[in-house]
Amino acid sequence: MSRIQVFDPALCCSTGVCGVDVDQQLVGFSADVDWAKQNGANIERFNLAQQPMDFAENNLVKAFLERSGEEALPLILVDGEIALAGRYPSRVELSRWTGIALVEEKPKSGCCGGNSSCS
Amino acid sequence: MVKLKFLDQPPRFLFFTGKGGVGKTSVACATAIQLADAGRRVLLVSTDPASNVGQVFGITIGNQITVIAAVPNLAALEIDPQAAAKAYRDRIVGPVRGVLPESVVKSIEEQLSGACTTEIAAFDEFTSLLIDSALTAGYEHIVFDTAPTGHTIRLLQLPGAWSGFLEEGKGDASCLGPLAGLEKQRSQYKAAVDALADPKRSRLILVARAQQATLREVARTHEELAAIGLSQQYLVINGILPQAEVAKDVLATAIFEREQNAMASLSALLKSLPLDCIELKPFNLVGLDALRKLFTPAVSINTDSDATSLAIEVPSLSKLVDSIAKDGHGLVMLMGKGGVGKTTLAAAVAVELALRGLPVHLTTSDPAAHLSETLNSALENLTVSRIDPHAETERYRASILASKGAQLDAQGRALLEEDLRSPCTEEIAVFQAFSRVIREAGKKFVVMDTAPTGHTLLLLDATGAYHREVSRQMVGSDVHFLTPMMQLQDPKQTKVLLVTLAETTPVLEAANLQADLRRAGIEPWAWVINNSVAAATVHSPLLRQRAANELHEIETVANRHAHHYAVVPLLKDEPVGMERLHEMATSNY
Repeated sequence: MSRIQVFDPALCCSTGVCGVDVDQQLVGFSADVDWAKQNGANIERFNLAQQPMDFAENNLVKAFLERSGEEALPLILVDGEIALAGRYPSRVELSRWTGIALVEEKPKSGCCGGNSSCS
Repeated sequence: MVKLKFLDQPPRFLFFTGKGGVGKTSVACATAIQLADAGRRVLLVSTDPASNVGQVFGITIGNQITVIAAVPNLAALEIDPQAAAKAYRDRIVGPVRGVLPESVVKSIEEQLSGACTTEIAAFDEFTSLLIDSALTAGYEHIVFDTAPTGHTIRLLQLPGAWSGFLEEGKGDASCLGPLAGLEKQRSQYKAAVDALADPKRSRLILVARAQQATLREVARTHEELAAIGLSQQYLVINGILPQAEVAKDVLATAIFEREQNAMASLSALLKSLPLDCIELKPFNLVGLDALRKLFTPAVSINTDSDATSLAIEVPSLSKLVDSIAKDGHGLVMLMGKGGVGKTTLAAAVAVELALRGLPVHLTTSDPAAHLSETLNSALENLTVSRIDPHAETERYRASILASKGAQLDAQGRALLEEDLRSPCTEEIAVFQAFSRVIREAGKKFVVMDTAPTGHTLLLLDATGAYHREVSRQMVGSDVHFLTPMMQLQDPKQTKVLLVTLAETTPVLEAANLQADLRRAGIEPWAWVINNSVAAATVHSPLLRQRAANELHEIETVANRHAHHYAVVPLLKDEPVGMERLHEMATSNY
């Protein structure tokens, strides 16, 4: 199965609630990651505030930070290649990368599953 | 010597907790000395930023166990939570400095500069003292002048906080951040928390003053810690004015009555705790002799009935307001630790501005509401509004749990709930409520009894980083553009007044707040020293001695910390209503 690496901006926590404004996407994404993991996905998250070495040691991530800055995070690598940047993936995207079937209820409208990444 | 309940058959660990300035370090020191004098081998652990334990014993202690030669059986250790947090930051940030872009490094540092980081880093230092080890084996008692907060302990107790965290080494629990990357095992933290909650091993002593606000806060702490299993709690009310002083002085009489009233109206919850009262002493609690006398009743000092006032010439609040008024409009924020009188002073500033004919909106978080009620419709150009911090925080928590916590499982939800109990959450919720009013400051004066910390502002600014981008592009153009952060940084538009008391720890705490604001590019405009005995007229020998002791702190504020300052005297009556507030602002020079 593909290896997914998520490089988060400097968050005080993965849900971001300590931050000034709770990011709906972040909380939803945390739940999606749980869902994917329970289905056997290989997903790792790296928090810039707590694991900056993982950013520094990956040339792709380091170069991305130098070029676009922290504001451009999150950065998502699938098997070591950039798959997405600037927003968190939806459950549909996670499903595509991991091959895990979506058995959740269909989204009410439009483009993405479960979460609000395109709202 | 009076028999004190909290010293009766003490267990191994004694924790003293209470807000800054109530005297918990002094009580802890005196306790340690008394136990050592009784032949017990004692280790005294201090986290007081004023670090006066070393000063008390006249030696340098620092971050290692140091034998106190002057007191047989006593050793001491000072933990500096700020330094512990900094060491943690350096461990995380050090390796990537110069590797990742400078702005990224700065952002990481800010994330690790919050109150949670400091608290957890300090707890980490505690851990090794709470578990069985060779380090502490020789001590029969370990006396701490602080205790971890409910928030910290609850986080450590949550299984969800650990599952994803220390075991996998990947962060989920926010405030536990500083524990990641440390080598200690979960079992060690668990052992430390277990020791805390075991009444056979630990006793928690709540230290308070006989003041309504302080006692309310202590009641909250008591409930919170009792709920998580710290059942053996004692209450010490420190610094009570002895009745003997009353005959000599009107102010002393008023203080005595106020304190006795506060004691009489103790909540049932606090009444159920074993209670000890310690009298106010005329001397500073520095040096062995003074500390050995802390637990004994005050010896009436010379009955020098010299009626001349000691009252010193210090600028009044009204003088400060003169300068504020010159701008015609703007935001005035009063900032300081709980219990220093921010709300009252905010009201006084608002009244003074309004009396000068200026349009003023006073907005407070006063829980009692009576202040806003007495001021409403007092003056035509003064409007008063009030927000309830508790309600705002609850609303914020509820909305996040409803929308964002809906998809989480039970463990995840418990963790999200605990994250929402972090000290930052209330600050953010309250500030969001206030910020709706801030906009008015372009036309009139807006006076607030709270202000966000520098840490919160920097996080706010980080999330609004695009503001900076926009303003950078606008340099040179004449388009008027302003971010909230820029409004707060501009002394023409925003004045922060730091409120403190003329005592060591409160002054130090205010200086820390100032340093934190400076990090965010905000320079506090003035300091206000509240409840000063030195600025009042007193005849009681004890109070006169206290007044003399204040002079050094007032000087420190005036010369070392503040650009402008004012001193507000300790008052006979609570300043409620417009006349009394005006009197308070103008009563000294």
